[in-house]
Amino acid sequence: MDILIYGTINSVSLALMALGFALVYGISRVANFAHGALYVVTGFLTWSLFKGAGLNYALSIALAMLFTGLIGALIYQFFLIRVRGMAISEIIASYAIGLAILEGFRWGGFKGMTYTLPPFVEGSMVLAGTPVDYHRLLVVLIGFGVVAFLWAFTHYSRIGLALRGMAQDERAALMLGIDSDLMAVVAMAFGSMLAGLSAVVLLPLGNIVVEKGYDVLIQAIAVCIVGGLGSWFGAVVAAFIIGFAQIVTVVWWGAHFQMVVALLAIIFTLVLRPSGLFGRQKELEERV
Amino acid sequence: MLEATDLMVFYENMLALNNVSIRCDESRIVGVFGANSAGKSTLMYTLSGIMEDIRKKEEMSGGERITVLGRIEYMGKEITRLKPSKRARLGIVLCPERRRIFNESSVLENLRIGGYLASPKQAKETLDYVFQLFPAIEKLKKRVGGFLSGGEQQMLAVGRALMAQPKLLLLDEPLMGLSPLIQAILVRSTREIRNQTGISIIVTEQYARPVIPIVDYAFILENGTAVLEGTKQEMLGNPDVRSAYFGVEEEGGKS
Repeated sequence: MDILIYGTINSVSLALMALGFALVYGISRVANFAHGALYVVTGFLTWSLFKGAGLNYALSIALAMLFTGLIGALIYQFFLIRVRGMAISEIIASYAIGLAILEGFRWGGFKGMTYTLPPFVEGSMVLAGTPVDYHRLLVVLIGFGVVAFLWAFTHYSRIGLALRGMAQDERAALMLGIDSDLMAVVAMAFGSMLAGLSAVVLLPLGNIVVEKGYDVLIQAIAVCIVGGLGSWFGAVVAAFIIGFAQIVTVVWWGAHFQMVVALLAIIFTLVLRPSGLFGRQKELEERV
Repeated sequence: MLEATDLMVFYENMLALNNVSIRCDESRIVGVFGANSAGKSTLMYTLSGIMEDIRKKEEMSGGERITVLGRIEYMGKEITRLKPSKRARLGIVLCPERRRIFNESSVLENLRIGGYLASPKQAKETLDYVFQLFPAIEKLKKRVGGFLSGGEQQMLAVGRALMAQPKLLLLDEPLMGLSPLIQAILVRSTREIRNQTGISIIVTEQYARPVIPIVDYAFILENGTAVLEGTKQEMLGNPDVRSAYFGVEEEGGKS
């Protein structure tokens, strides 16, 4: 029962971390290696607004997420757009930006264990003999909410449909009047806000530390590689596989093996099935 | 409506279009015929602005150097350097060679993505119109685009382009690889589109015979140069054109 409950919670957390990365890659083919940095940025922004400026908690979260979305859009508009289409340059550029942000925080004195956010709802309950706190249950609810929202957004809204068109065939989308540069900015802003959302939802479970940025990036990449780059559905499935594998490992071997699971998942996927479970490049790569 | 003068397109030093001038008037169907690599698709990409996007991307990644010279005027405005999405907004919509359907989306979604520029009311009206034009794809509404046959995909591609509310529709080899039966349906609906909506259409094809009955004016491209142009009657009256592009051998003519 422990495994089922905490496995689900862990899986949903992983899915939340990875969805922003998967979304940006799926639409604009930019691997946003600044993802983890944006996660930490939202954490510190929320903390600054809430604890520093004394704003309302919900308002701080909303502002921090909006601001992170804006930062993502600016990163795309001013840096990534210049190297668009060159995969290696995109990765180096976005990773460099992420490094600059994270190490900038460290240099600026944001380190140690003093930065924490309170959970949304205090308290806990016993679920089928396992104690769970309300906030973790809320994480699961929010996770499912985000997936449902994303699905509806990409199937029924005009912008969402345009984004999916662009993800499938950018040039065909251009012919229909969909501005690919604008859409890529929208996707990046949206992906950054998702990184921000996962940050404000997950950070109350621990401390806000710079290292979280790297941690989240690795987890997100692991999930996306296992699920198949560019596939959101694959990302969700992979989050559940890795999520449960991690919890099983924690229960049977020990907590410090948790990270190894994600890294091994990357290696095994790349060896056995490089395009992941639901990768778009599947046909192409396997034919070559 | 659209007038392109002295278009020249180079890929590096290779000349793909050489001094091509073509025009299309309001509510006309113009045919552009030519063999493989005569420059038909290059012309369509240049008119729709996709060439600008390709050029920009190649330049950014240090790939092929593409040069576009000449002037394109559309409804009295110069659009030679305009982005493709802006041109689509003005009403120039390209239905590309090999269709480029969104393979993972259903037929209905393909059409709805095509309706990006349409208002909700326009989108609904056009959707009804497309299904009336191609009843075959209405039955396949829920089918995923990649699982359609070539003919169904082509109908979907034309429908998707119509959803973008074109004033000038560019059809690049719409009949390629299709059976004569499907070809006839597409040719008939192309004429219907023009007659019922007044949209101007430029259609390219390798083989002129199926399309020539519906065109008002035609150009013939050879190795990137427009070697001949004229009305349908002039084209049909020209023995060289007849044998080379219509597959009609004149008795006692050149073999």
